[in-house]
Amino acid sequence: MNEPTQAEQELERLLHRTLRAVPLRRAPQTLESRVLGELQRRAAMPWWRRSFVHWPQVARAAFVLLCVAMAAAVVGATAAVVGATGEWAASLARAVPPEWIYDGLAVSGLLYTALFGLGIAAYRTLYRNFEIAGDLRS
Amino acid sequence: MRAYQDMVFSTAARLAGDDAQAEDISQEVFIKAYENFAHLQASPTAGGWLRTVATNLALNHLTRYRKRWRLFSEMRLNAADEDSPEPELPLPDTLLADLGADQQRVVIDDALRRLPEHQRVSLVLYHFEDLSYQEIAVRLRVSLAKVKTDIRRARAALLPMLQSSGIAP
Repeated sequence: MNEPTQAEQELERLLHRTLRAVPLRRAPQTLESRVLGELQRRAAMPWWRRSFVHWPQVARAAFVLLCVAMAAAVVGATAAVVGATGEWAASLARAVPPEWIYDGLAVSGLLYTALFGLGIAAYRTLYRNFEIAGDLRS
Repeated sequence: MRAYQDMVFSTAARLAGDDAQAEDISQEVFIKAYENFAHLQASPTAGGWLRTVATNLALNHLTRYRKRWRLFSEMRLNAADEDSPEPELPLPDTLLADLGADQQRVVIDDALRRLPEHQRVSLVLYHFEDLSYQEIAVRLRVSLAKVKTDIRRARAALLPMLQSSGIAP
C-alpha cells in the first residue's frame, strides 16, 4: 500500500481531534436494572445449571471421572465392534470394484461443489438485498 | 457501575453499531466485573479493565454472528475494491464546530453507523481505542494492508458526512 499523502495525514489528524472530542453516550436507564436482574437470576440458579467453574469441587471431580469412564467405554466398544466386523468389512472392500469408489468420490465432489456454488449465490443475493434495504432505511 | 456505564456502553455501541446489541454487551461486561469484583474494587485500572472487556466482548459478538459469512463477504469486498477519493486540501481546522456537544455526538454516531462494519470497527479501534494498525490487524485477523485500506476509506467516507452536517467558518 502507498504511503499516506499529506491530505490523508491532515484528514487523519482532523478526524482524530473531532472523534476524540465527542462526549460519551449516555447508557440506557434500563442497563443497571438489567444487570442486577441478571445477577439475581444467576444467583438463584441451582449449581448444576451454572458454569462448570462454579460447581462444587466434588461435583467437578465426579463429572471428570464420569467423562473419562464414558470415553473409555466408547473406545472399548468401538474397538470391539471394529474387531467383530473388521473381517467382514475387509472382504466387502475387496468385493467392491475400484471404479465404484472413484465414481462415488467424483459424485461427492460434484455435489459438494454444487452446494458451495449455491451457497455463494444465495449469500450474494440475500446480502445484497439486505444491504439495499439497509441503505433505503438510512 | 454508574461511574463507568456510559463509557462501557459508548465503547460497545461504537463497535457494534447497534444500541440493542450494545446494551447486551454492556450487561455482560458488568456481570464479568461482578465476578471479578474482589480484584477490581481496589484496582486503580478498573476503568481500563472494563474498557478492554467491553472491546473484547463487542469484537467477539461481531465475530460470533458474522464469522460464517466472512469468507463470502471478503470475496465480495475484494471484488468491489474501489479506491477512496483523495481528500481535497485545504481541509477545515475543525468539523461540526457549529453544533453543541450532544448534537456532535449524534451526528458522529449516525455517521459511524452508516459505515460498512469492517471499516467502522477498524476506525473505532484506531481513533477511540488507540490501537495501532498492527494491533488491529492481529485482533481482527486480517492483513495489515486491509486495516490501512479500511481506515483510509472510512475516513474518506466520514469527511463528507460530517462536512454536510456543519463546518466551522
